[in-house]
This record gives sequence, structure tokens and C-alpha cells, in this order.
Amino acid sequence: MRNSFLAALLTGTVLALGHAAPAHSVELNLIRFFGDCANEYGNVTELDKAVGECGIIQVLTNKFNAENDLGATVNTQTVDWGTYYDQLSATYSTGSIPDIAVMHRSVLPNFTTRNLVEPLAEGFAEVGVDTKDFAPAALEAVTVGETVYGLPFDLHALLFHINMDLMEQAGLVQNGQPVLPSSPEELLQHAKQMKERTGKNYFAMESGASEFMPVRLFNTWVWQQGQDVIAADGSAANLDSDAGRAAAELLATLYSEGHINSRHDYAAAEQAFLAGDVAILINGTWVVDSYSTQAEGGEAGLKNYRVANLPNLFSQDAVWSDSHLWVMPVDQSRSDEEQKAALAFLAFLNEHNYDWARTGHLAVRTSVLESEQFNALPQRSNYAETSQIARALPAIPGQRAIQDIMVSELSSIWLAGKSVDDVLPSMQRRVEQTLRRSQR
Amino acid sequence: MTITATASSSLAERRETVTGRREAWAAYLFLAPFLLVYLVFLVYPLFKGFWISLHDWELVGSYREYIGFLNYEDLWYDPIFWLTVRNTLTFVALTVPAMTVLSLALALGVSRRTRTHGILRGIFFASSVFSVSVVTLIWQMVLNGERGLIAHLLRSLGIAPIDFLGHPFWAMPSMVVATLWWSVGLPMALFIAGLQQIPGELYEAAELDNASRWTVLRKITLPAIHRTVILVIVLQIVLQFQVFGQALLMTQGGPADRTRTLVQNIYHTAFRDWQVGYASAMAMLLFVLMFFVSMLQLYIGRRED
Repeated sequence: MRNSFLAALLTGTVLALGHAAPAHSVELNLIRFFGDCANEYGNVTELDKAVGECGIIQVLTNKFNAENDLGATVNTQTVDWGTYYDQLSATYSTGSIPDIAVMHRSVLPNFTTRNLVEPLAEGFAEVGVDTKDFAPAALEAVTVGETVYGLPFDLHALLFHINMDLMEQAGLVQNGQPVLPSSPEELLQHAKQMKERTGKNYFAMESGASEFMPVRLFNTWVWQQGQDVIAADGSAANLDSDAGRAAAELLATLYSEGHINSRHDYAAAEQAFLAGDVAILINGTWVVDSYSTQAEGGEAGLKNYRVANLPNLFSQDAVWSDSHLWVMPVDQSRSDEEQKAALAFLAFLNEHNYDWARTGHLAVRTSVLESEQFNALPQRSNYAETSQIARALPAIPGQRAIQDIMVSELSSIWLAGKSVDDVLPSMQRRVEQTLRRSQR
Repeated sequence: MTITATASSSLAERRETVTGRREAWAAYLFLAPFLLVYLVFLVYPLFKGFWISLHDWELVGSYREYIGFLNYEDLWYDPIFWLTVRNTLTFVALTVPAMTVLSLALALGVSRRTRTHGILRGIFFASSVFSVSVVTLIWQMVLNGERGLIAHLLRSLGIAPIDFLGHPFWAMPSMVVATLWWSVGLPMALFIAGLQQIPGELYEAAELDNASRWTVLRKITLPAIHRTVILVIVLQIVLQFQVFGQALLMTQGGPADRTRTLVQNIYHTAFRDWQVGYASAMAMLLFVLMFFVSMLQLYIGRRED
């Protein structure tokens, strides 16, 4: 009797385990930046409760874990933005290669030139991700030759974040629209007008020795002059040039005339804008959601918030941009089940492209971009053109090093008093040395 | 008789040889764990590093191409490499003497075996247990040009704040100050150990002779801890040549690369740019530089003996 009871118990346990096992049999490792908010969002699966990049991706992951019918669980490893790529690169040496990783468009060439990420077109077809629905810029961001290497998640670009009350006080509003400059001279004139009439700075921007915003602005202004920053084949840089000089001199003047506070880091620039102490903050698409909420909340000094595309100061529209993508790093030990589950997760993220775009990033699916739901999001109509004028460096490896060099060189103008004449040749030489070494 | 004497002496010699061999084996046996660790974790990586430096060797993937001394040739013409060497030497030149003097001064101040001195020793040593990220965070909160403690203080006095970490002159001294605060504990402990070895009679004799405190320091204390001073200096040289975290986290090498250090450059070259071969060549030169300066210091120390 006792034996048969034990046997029944054992059989029951085995059956229960056998039944339960497939439900959680596939563990996926995901590595990303965007911050860690697992404590805040725990097991939240309602997307409307999520705010900001971290919240939305965390809730998307929770939702996939709770709802997928493959028994897949995505385990997230969050890494600080500054060291993310170093850690991701190191996983190839340590062997603990993640199944899914977030990546910038600007970094993807490092991995594709060495065949370190999986081609995904076939997998996408299997799980119903329609690559034809990707906006042209998004498809270009993940394609090398004819091969698709990633799932585009967004397009992010520079924007003017505007305090309309200060613009009004400075006489820079007409018919309810901000009056934005159309030439470098006009920009400096507006900045002067702002200072005279309000006593406030026209611009705020992160300006530290390793902060990228000024480089993004420099690139934008070079492109607006119809010139390349880096040649399309990555063979040469075009920094010590007339276009580079015009862009660098405009930056130098803005700092030397006190229209930008060179002591501001990212947080200080943002704080100054939200406190209502600055007319225009130069920052990306990723903060639109957050600033809109804060301005509407009424607690911030900023009351009347507005977003605008970066104005054309030279001869053609252009703005710096990059994209977040999801890739599947090459790992010979990945099983078919894991591969299938990873593709299912990517398809899930693609389905929720609208939710990600709530951060302020531009959606990458044409169907989402054209949807009423997307266009009803705050401010979207004010920067709809950004996706059309977005530019990026050509798909060459070593862009992080190039960016670091440019930050270091350009910031030495306002931080160390170096002249544009000294900076441009030095920046040109160092970037070309990097281009040579990264393509050897 | 002679034969017997010769035989017994050769027997004794053989015994001595056997004993000597046994002792040698025992010595090797005791040395073995250290030697093993030393060979596996120091000697092998050193040679492997040199071997890698002769290649175009990428961190990720399998690209490796033998290029002889081309990486070293590239280094010779790399202005950023030489800039980082200069910055590192400046940092070492500022930090090592300041650290030695400061830690000695603190040790002299708190070396007595009293409760108060014990507590003070603990306080001064406490900062050494922090990680570099905590230390740099604390000093950023103090030195930040816009929101830092000093900036608020200066503003309240009606003085325009200084962006210490973004200033071409102040960035390096700021890093030095943070480093001194962080790592003064260990050299202080070494000096305290050295000071406590000095026989009290010497000080009593000096007191009887009415020697001034300055004379006591010059004629008794400093000569007695001469070897500790050399040890502290050599340790500090080796340690400070490898400055990395402070530059990476506090100033990010800026402004205008004024605080970019050699190890930071090695890190970026290897992990950001994946050029492990080139980074290894830099690491080899750093090793040579540290070895040379340490040997020079030891040589000077011995000559003074």
C-alpha cells in the first residue's frame, strides 16, 4: 500500500515536472544598456504603466516572458552605457555570449565585418517580421550589402528642445511658432537677442571632455553644407576643410560669446533647461516623452515646451542620427530552440515598435510611423521631418574611436582654449590614423 | 691514519652534499606554490603579451597576423601615445613625492601607541578601502564645476566657480588630490611600522643632548626608516604609473587629453578599438618604463647606503 502510494507520488511528480519543464525550458540571455529598473517594474506587464527607455524595455521583456507560448524566459543583463560595448566584446572571449544584444547602428560595422552577428533575414521570414515594413533609413541601418543583420528598433536624432516662454520674451515667436535661425549669423543674432532681452542663454548642451553632443552638432553642420564628415568608403576624413572650419568656428563662437555654458555636463544642461534657465536644449529624441510629462506636470520651471527639427543653417537639411538595433551574436553552442525563441522575442519587439516610440524615438516601421496612434503622441508632428533629414556616418568600423577623438579635440576649444586652427589639423590626422588602423 | 682521515672527510662532504640537496629540495618545495603562481600569472602573460605585440591581434574574432615590430614602429610615430606617456610621468612626478611626504607626515603624527592615535590611524586608512569608483564619485561631488561642493562655496563668496575637472590646469592636480586622499593609507601604515622599529633610547639620547625636533627627524628618524622610504617610493612609482580609474571616471582623459594616461590609452586601444596587438606593445613599453624607473630608484637608494 505504502509502496504503491510512493510510486503514485513519484509518477505524479515526474508527470508534473514533465509537463512543467517545456513551459520554462528555454532560457535566453539578453544584454543591454538603457539602465536597470527591474526593482521599479518587477513583474509589471501593462505597457501603459511604463515610462522612459528603461521602463518600456523592462515591461516589454516582462510581457514576453509572461505571454510567450514557447516557454521562453529572457534574462536581462543590464550594463552601464559607458562600458557596454567593452563588456559585449569581452563575452566573445569569455564564451558567455548573449543570445540577444542591443547595439547602435554606428557600432554594427565592427561586428559585421568580422562575422560576429547572425544574418537574420531568413529567421525574420519564419517569425513574420516584414523587412519591407522597415522605413528606408531603418533598413539601411541594419543592412550590409544584401544581408540584414539586426532588428531596427528606433531612429534617434538631435532636436531643438525649446522653452517657448523664453522665446516669446526674446521676441522669437511668430504666430505661435518659434522663430529659428536659417544661417550661422542669424543664430548668433538670436542668441544675442535672447541674452539681451531675458538675460538667459540661448543654448544648453553637454560640453564635457567626453560628451558627444557637440560632435553630433558639428557633424550636422558639416552635412548641412553638403559635405561628408567621413568619405562614404571610409578612406578619408573631411574635417580640416572649409565645411569643418565653418562648423567648428560656429561652435567656438557660441562658447566664447557665452551663449553655451561650457561647465555643463549632461545632467546640468538638462537641469538648466527644465528649470527654465535656458531657451533651447540640444538633446536627442529620447527625452521628448519625459520633458513633455514634466512640463505638463507644472512642477518644473519649464512650462511651455516645444520640439523642433534642427534648422538648416547652411545649404541643405540634415541632422545627426543613430539607431538602436537588436542583434543575435554568433554563438555555435546556441540550440535550435534558443534560436527560435530569440527570433520570437525579436518579432515581439518589432510588434511593439509603437510602445518603444513613446520614449520620443522615431519608430522604424512605416506602418507605425503612418499610424494615427503614433502621430497622436506629444510633439510628433513638430519633428516628423527629422526621419527624412537624418544622416549618419558611413557603415565603417571604428566609429566609437572616431567619435572619442572628435569629442576630445573639439572640446579642447572651449575647455582648454585651443584655436580652431590647431584643432582641425590634429583632429583630421588622428581620425585618419584611426580609419587606417581600423581597416588594416 | 691519513687514509682514515681522508675517508672520513669525504664521508662528511658526501653527508653535507646530501643534506644540502635535501635542503635545496625542501626550499624548492616551499617555493613551488609561489613559483607556480609567478610563472602562470606573471612570467607567462609577460611573454604572451610580447608575442601578441608582434601581431595585428584583434580582441574579438580570430584575426591574427604576424607583423614583427610594426606596432612598435607605429607607437614611435603616435603623438597620442607620447602625450599619454608625458601625462603619466607628470602624474607620477606629482603624486609620488607628495604621497611620500604626506604619508610620512601623517605617520609621524599618529605613530604613538595611544587610543587617539589608533582612531586617527583608522580614519586616515579608511579611504584606502573604497573602490576607485566610490572615490571618484566623492571627488566629482566636491569638484564639479556647476554642482560641486567647492562651486557652491565659491558662489556663496561671490566668486565664479572653477570647473576643476574640465580645466586644463586644474584637472591633473585634481586627480592627484583624489589619489592622495584615496591611497595615503598604505604608505602611512608602512611608515608607522618603520617608525615603531626605531629604538626609544635613540630619542632619549637626543633629548638629553637637547636636539631640536628637526634635528631628531633628520639625524635619527629619516636615516632609521631610509629603507622604508625607498620601499614606499618604489611601490608608489609602480602603482601610480598604472593610474587608470581616476582618469577614466573623473576627467575621461580631458580636457584636451591633458589627463589621458598610458593605461587608459591601452584600455581604449584594446577594448574599444579591439587592437590588442597595438595595446600590448604599449603595455610592454609601460613595463620597461616602470622597470627602468624602479631600478634607478633602487640603485640610487643602494648607492646612498
